[in-house]
Amino acid sequence: MLQLENVDVCYGSFKALTDISMTVDTGELVVLLGANGAGKTTLFNAISGLVKPAGGDIRFEDKHLNGMKPSAVVSSGVVQCAEGRKLFPQMSVQQNLMMGAYVHRRDREGNKKRLNEVLELFPILEDKANQPAGSLSGGQQQMVAIGRAMMSRPRLLMLDEPSLGLAPLVVRQMFETIRQINSLGTTVLLAEQNAFAALKIADRAYVMENGRLVMEGDREAMLGNEEVRKAYIGA
Amino acid sequence: MNLFFQQIINGLTLGSIYGLVALGLTLVYGILHIPNFAHGALYMVGAFMSYFFMTDLGMHYWIAMAGSAAVVAVLAILCERLVFHPLRNSPPIHDKIAAIGILLFLEAVVQMFWGSDFRRLSSPFTGIMNFDGLIIPEQRLLIIVGAFALVIALQLFLRKTMTGATIIAMAQSREGAFLVGIDANRVAMMTFAISGVLAAVAASLYAPINLVYPAMGHLVIMKAFVIIILGGMGSIPGAIAGGMIIGFAEAFGGFYISTAYKDIIAFGLLVLILSVRPQGLFAKGAH
Repeated sequence: MLQLENVDVCYGSFKALTDISMTVDTGELVVLLGANGAGKTTLFNAISGLVKPAGGDIRFEDKHLNGMKPSAVVSSGVVQCAEGRKLFPQMSVQQNLMMGAYVHRRDREGNKKRLNEVLELFPILEDKANQPAGSLSGGQQQMVAIGRAMMSRPRLLMLDEPSLGLAPLVVRQMFETIRQINSLGTTVLLAEQNAFAALKIADRAYVMENGRLVMEGDREAMLGNEEVRKAYIGA
Repeated sequence: MNLFFQQIINGLTLGSIYGLVALGLTLVYGILHIPNFAHGALYMVGAFMSYFFMTDLGMHYWIAMAGSAAVVAVLAILCERLVFHPLRNSPPIHDKIAAIGILLFLEAVVQMFWGSDFRRLSSPFTGIMNFDGLIIPEQRLLIIVGAFALVIALQLFLRKTMTGATIIAMAQSREGAFLVGIDANRVAMMTFAISGVLAAVAASLYAPINLVYPAMGHLVIMKAFVIIILGGMGSIPGAIAGGMIIGFAEAFGGFYISTAYKDIIAFGLLVLILSVRPQGLFAKGAH
């Protein structure tokens, strides 16, 4: 579904990503592990068209995403839920969710149906529908961010550190919801530092360090890997 | 008492014009963070285009205003595409210098065609309405009603349509807008076009009770900047409220103190309000 071949990203003279090659297959839940500054967000931004790769190829199904505008990437079915949520803080929860359906704005019936599906995933958002998104708790804002991304009807959903800054109980619920989204048919690429929780729901994982992919493997292999356990799980 | 109400009408007239000009300025600032000094030139071109359509082509006032709005909208889009868009990744000072460049360029072009003489735009609304001793010239009533109608139409567009909501979304979170697939170029062009329409309509409404000349945008744009700083940079309600505050202050100050000081009042108010509320009356994000 998604294929990256030898992707490089530079910020001026600084090389943020070096020779990234990876795949995500249809229906998978793939986790990207890495510490702060490893390059996870840059990789997501390169796929989303927010950052232009200096080299390499990014393909989604039969399309080359290199050089595509972010709006075209979303239209093709690749949607990112960014770190820090990037909500529209003064808009209501409902408006935020409906803005997620921007690329499908002419399909009003489809959007209504999608909104109901999103509210089934996050029932609490129904009660908060008219509240400004910026006034919600961190966990609820994260739900709006994921809900908004789901309104774009992604075939590949990229989640950048959705557990960041959330209480442990909320984190557990969040990962359960991500697993549910994946089981309902959406392919998920999840960037996380919370390795143990992420690997529990993953099919496969990649590990990033200093802008390079240094390891990959399926869930069992990763959970059993001594280096991964030491560096990311702390056991 | 009638004199007092007369000043209210004068204040509403001035406030409506200032509000319309400031709205366009604040919309562009809210989206692109460009302090568009060229907005005063768009206002001036709007007046000259209405003058041209009416005087040289013999069009009716309304058609001339619509034509002027269309021309200035296209001109504003060209400014965005040809000047501001290529500078989007440059240091902010480049935008400011470019905006001043556009202002000077447009003034020179208008001067080349029409010279620097003062001209008068005639309007079919020359009558005077008398409400029990309260005298309201038709053109002033038109300005007030027209400006309010335009503000309401703009609010409905921004709040009730998905296309309009993209402008608000972009102003609140640029990155968030990209993530939902909003095309930044489209929003930027649309915002400039709206600001151009607002400037042209304001100029076409105000020109019949004022004069048309190449430097007519200078004082208006200065005051529009005072208004958006006063109201909160990027805030739509702030631009409307700020426009009214300056309009009323000028009308009442000019009448009860002296017309010689009416332009100083706007800047005096700016100093006074910013010393109490440095972020402006409506903090950014009051969209």
